[in-house]
This record gives sequence, structure tokens and C-alpha cells, in this order.
Amino acid sequence: MSVSDPAVRRRFWSRFALAGPVVFLCAALVMCGGALWLPKGAAQIDNLVMPIVLFPAIWAGLFFYAYLDRSLARAWAVIGGLSLVHLAVIGLYVMQTMQAAKAAGAGAS
Amino acid sequence: MIKLSQERNKSLLAVHGWSAVFLGLLLYAVILTGVASVFAKELGDWSSPLAQPVADPFRPGTDRMLREFAATVDPQYHEEMFVFPRAGDRLYAFFHKHETDEDGKPRERGVAAEFDPNTQTLIERREGTDEDVDAGDRANALGDFMVELHVRLHLPNPWGLLLTGVLGLAMLVAAITGFVVHRHLIKELFTLRRHKEKLLSARDTHVIAGTWNLPFAFILAFTGSYFSFGSAFGIPAVAMVVFGGDQEKMIETVIGNPPKEDKTPAPVADFDRMIADVRGRTDAALNFITVQHWGRADSLVTMFMQYPEGKLLGPTYVYSGATGEFRYAKPSLGLQPSTGGALFELMGPLHFGNFAGVFSKAAWFALGFAGAYVTITGLMLWTLRRREQRGWRHLARATVWVGYGLPLALAAPAYAFFPLRAAGELVHGPMMTVFLLVALAAAGIAWGLRSLTLARRILLGLTGLALLLLPALRLLSGGAGWPLAFESGLHTVLALDIAFAVGGLLCLLSASRRHAENAAADEELDEAVEA
Repeated sequence: MSVSDPAVRRRFWSRFALAGPVVFLCAALVMCGGALWLPKGAAQIDNLVMPIVLFPAIWAGLFFYAYLDRSLARAWAVIGGLSLVHLAVIGLYVMQTMQAAKAAGAGAS
Repeated sequence: MIKLSQERNKSLLAVHGWSAVFLGLLLYAVILTGVASVFAKELGDWSSPLAQPVADPFRPGTDRMLREFAATVDPQYHEEMFVFPRAGDRLYAFFHKHETDEDGKPRERGVAAEFDPNTQTLIERREGTDEDVDAGDRANALGDFMVELHVRLHLPNPWGLLLTGVLGLAMLVAAITGFVVHRHLIKELFTLRRHKEKLLSARDTHVIAGTWNLPFAFILAFTGSYFSFGSAFGIPAVAMVVFGGDQEKMIETVIGNPPKEDKTPAPVADFDRMIADVRGRTDAALNFITVQHWGRADSLVTMFMQYPEGKLLGPTYVYSGATGEFRYAKPSLGLQPSTGGALFELMGPLHFGNFAGVFSKAAWFALGFAGAYVTITGLMLWTLRRREQRGWRHLARATVWVGYGLPLALAAPAYAFFPLRAAGELVHGPMMTVFLLVALAAAGIAWGLRSLTLARRILLGLTGLALLLLPALRLLSGGAGWPLAFESGLHTVLALDIAFAVGGLLCLLSASRRHAENAAADEELDEAVEA
């Protein structure tokens, strides 16, 4: 197989997209979603502080996994799955918050 | 030794090289300016000392100084105030309110003042947004120029921070893969083969410096990318999800001072007494004071201390701003110790190296310098190996341009700063102009001369000259002479004059001694890089 082989090229760009922008997006979603499911700790701030402080570690872990997993399809599935789960957690929380705000507004009026 | 399959090892070697090559030159710029930024405070002390050294920036009388200043400030800016020592230990105070700019980004607007703590008199007063106030700052301009270049490459927010954040991640990749690529870690820590071929020696010194530097590079890359992404992206993103975009509310929540609002006007308590009280509670030096809601019943005064001896974490002390009564001690974040708070507090000392005064700063400077050396020698080895390929020749010239031209361009703004500051003019714009012009001239040398070795020698020689002449420039612009500096105890002035002169001489010596490594045969080059 050579670099000019379309299949090899496609594989390269697929891996590049996964380990590059997709992993970054996934790390950002894990950071934001983590703020919702991480324990708050004694000072009630761990869930807010730790995902931000550990963002480089989250990104690095995901990057090396996406780059090194021999099965590209599995890597897409894992990173994509993780992103979707966190997207769902965030979406659910935002919807609940909006509903609560709406209910509070209705109660006040 | 870390064992990996040949295929995995090849993959990691590829990502190690490409992460460094792709962003290497920018990374070098960030590391080099980071090295200079370690001594940003000292640069301010050197370039803008007060007539006498300051034994205690928060000496008795601080209360009167702040109170008189506050009386001249529009009460709308009494929302928050902070005060801390800056260049030459001038006491810098900023009364401000929080607002959002046209793009909805938070900013501060208010009135700032610089005081001489020895005479307790006002030196300068500036008004406007935090950006306006910084733009008029002359005393800290040299150090701030380095810090701004390091933090955001002088690009507007948030793009500069995002770029340096990405560079931090690239450095993190290079550091982690470096652990694996240099598998014979222990052996490589001490292997410097004595070659006739300069490139084999160059490869060995790159590997030795890189291997010793790996843990440090990892720490800097991790903490650096946290600092860049944290403010540019982490806080806004988490605030967007958890607090509906209200960053102020998020910061208030993590800091943990409960904002029980009471707008009743109340006299401000005596700062001198609060400062004396906090000094009775800890041996650590007072570093920074913030006051929330100056002149209100709910006013809170928070005292931040320098790191206690032998520790990287220390409490802050909170007082009632209305009564002066001690309320509680707390970590920087939250009202009680927490894992998140401790991790956050560790980021600062680990990145800035300021936990043990000048000794830890010197260590961070040396390790950072080694990091810059590893980056630039890595790029040179990479491009030398590929010098027959046309595309890489431009990277080789760019490497010489940035590697040797950037130190020259960093020394140059001082030549705008000193005369303009002496003339009472604004300095930031001209400093940037000089920096860009010198960088452009360096590019002319790097691409204009056929011989890269000659280009390197000229740029190194000019850097040496620029550094060597800095003490004379400082003196000619009205700076304290050596006898006066010695008598007055302005030791930073003397120390940095000597450091610049020695650094300049070393550059000149090195420039006059450099040989043409380029003469090595291609086979030797390959051997050098792949050995």
C-alpha cells in the first residue's frame, strides 16, 4: 500500500479529523458535561474546577487513544459515543433549567 | 525502558516530530518569552526602580493612602478594588466596576493609581477600562511586553490565548511522546558521545537536554495550556452550561465569598490594623489585597499571601471591610480545602516557578532555557536532514530567523522604552513597532544571505551587542548609576546589568566561534538524526 492509495489517504484524513478537531470537541464536551456529573466535594466546587484544570489531561488521553487505536472504526465509536453521552447530559440539564426558570416565572406572575 | 511494538513506536516518533515541527517555531517563541517572563517583576524593578528600595510595600500609612485615593474616585468604581506591589515595589491600586464590552465579554472600568510606598505619595493616576489603564502603564512596560507575547503572542482575546493553548497541547504531545521515543531514558541522560562530526554531537546534546527536560516540559505544557484554555474557553464554556453564561456568578461561586448583599453605607475599617493582624497570623508575606464593595456594610477584604516557607499552598484571610474584624481563613477557591481548589492553587507555582523566590525562578529560567534549546535544535536537526528537499529549506531559514532573530527582537523594544519613558511618552506602541521592525530585519538576514551559518552568526552577534549595551542605555536614559544603586541597595539593578552584560558577551563570543556544521555529509546527517 502506498500513500497515493485512495484508501490509505482516506484513512489518514479520517484519523487526522478524529484525533484533531473531533477529539478537541469531545474534550470540550467532557469538560462541560463533567461539571454536571462530577461530585461537588467538600467545598462544593470540585465539579466546576476540576474539569477546567484537567482539560489538558482529558484532551491528551483522548488524543493518544484516537491516534493509537489500531481500529479506526472503534476509535470513532468510542470518541463519538463519549461526545454524544455528554451532549445528552448537557442538553438535558439545559432543558431542565429552562423549564424550571419558566415555572418560576409563571409562579411569580 | 518503555516497551512498545515497532508500529506503535513509529507512530509515536512521527507524532513527536510533527507536533514539534508543525508548531515548533511558535512554541519556541512562547517558551523563550516564558523564560524572560519568569523575571518579569525583576525586569520592572531593573527598568523602573524607585529612588530607594522598598522594605515593606504595605507599611503603616497604607490606610491613609488608599482612603485619600478612594475619596477622589467616582463611587460607581467602589464595587471592587485591588492593591499589590509592582515594578520597583510601587503600590498599584485599581478601583473598578465590572461591565461587558460590545461583544459581551467581561471587562473592568475604573481608576488606577501608583504610589511610592516609601514616601506614600501618588506617582501616577490613570482612568478607563483595564486595557486603557494597562496601555498607559510605563513602569511595568518591559516585563508586560514579554508576558503579553508569552501569554497571547500579542494577539487579541480570545484568539491569542487559544493559539497559545494549542501550542501548550502540542508541547504536551511532544513531551509525552518524548518519554516513549527516548526509550533508553536513563542511558540517554548521560550519553554525550565525542564525535568529530558536529551533527552527532548536536543530536546527542538535543537528546540529553530534551531527556533531562521532559518532566519539566510536561509540567509547563500542562499548566500553560490550562492557563490559556482556562480563561479563554474553559470558564466561559462551563459558565455557559451551568450558569447560563454568567461568568461573574461562576467566579463568585468558586471563590466562595458569599455575596450577602447589604448596600447600607458604612465607614471603611483601618487597613493598617487589618494588615498588622494578618501578619500576626502567618509568617508568609502579604502579596495582594482585594476589597469588595468599598464603603458598604457588606464589604469584604481578602488578603492573599506569598507561599508559606516550604509549601505550595497557603490560606487567604478574609476580613469585614466595615468593622475590620477577622472573618475566616480560606483557600483561594471555596471556603474549605478541596481537591479542585488544591489542583487550581498548584497550577500557579508550577508554571511561574515563584514558590521559593529567586532560587526557584532561576531554576525555572534554566529549565525553560533548556526547553527553548531543545525546540530549536530539534527543528535544526529535522531541517538539516531534509535540506536537499526544497520545501524544508524555507523551514531551515525560518528556524534561523526565529531561533536567532527572536532574541534580538526581544532585546530591541528596550531601545524604544528607555528614551521614550525618559521623555514622558507612551511606550507600548513604539515598543511593538521596534519589535516588528527588528523581526523583519532579521527575516531579511535569514533569507537574504546565502550562508545560513553566516546569518546565524550575524543575528547572534547583534543580539550580543544589543544585550551588552542595555546597561549603558539605562544609564543614559536617567537610570541610577552603579555607585548610587549599590549605596541605595537597588540590587536588582546591579544584578540585571551584570546579567545582560555577561549574556551579551557570551553571545558575541559564541558568534565569533561558530563553525560551519553544514559541511557534514548527508549520510552523517541521517545518522545523526536516526541514531
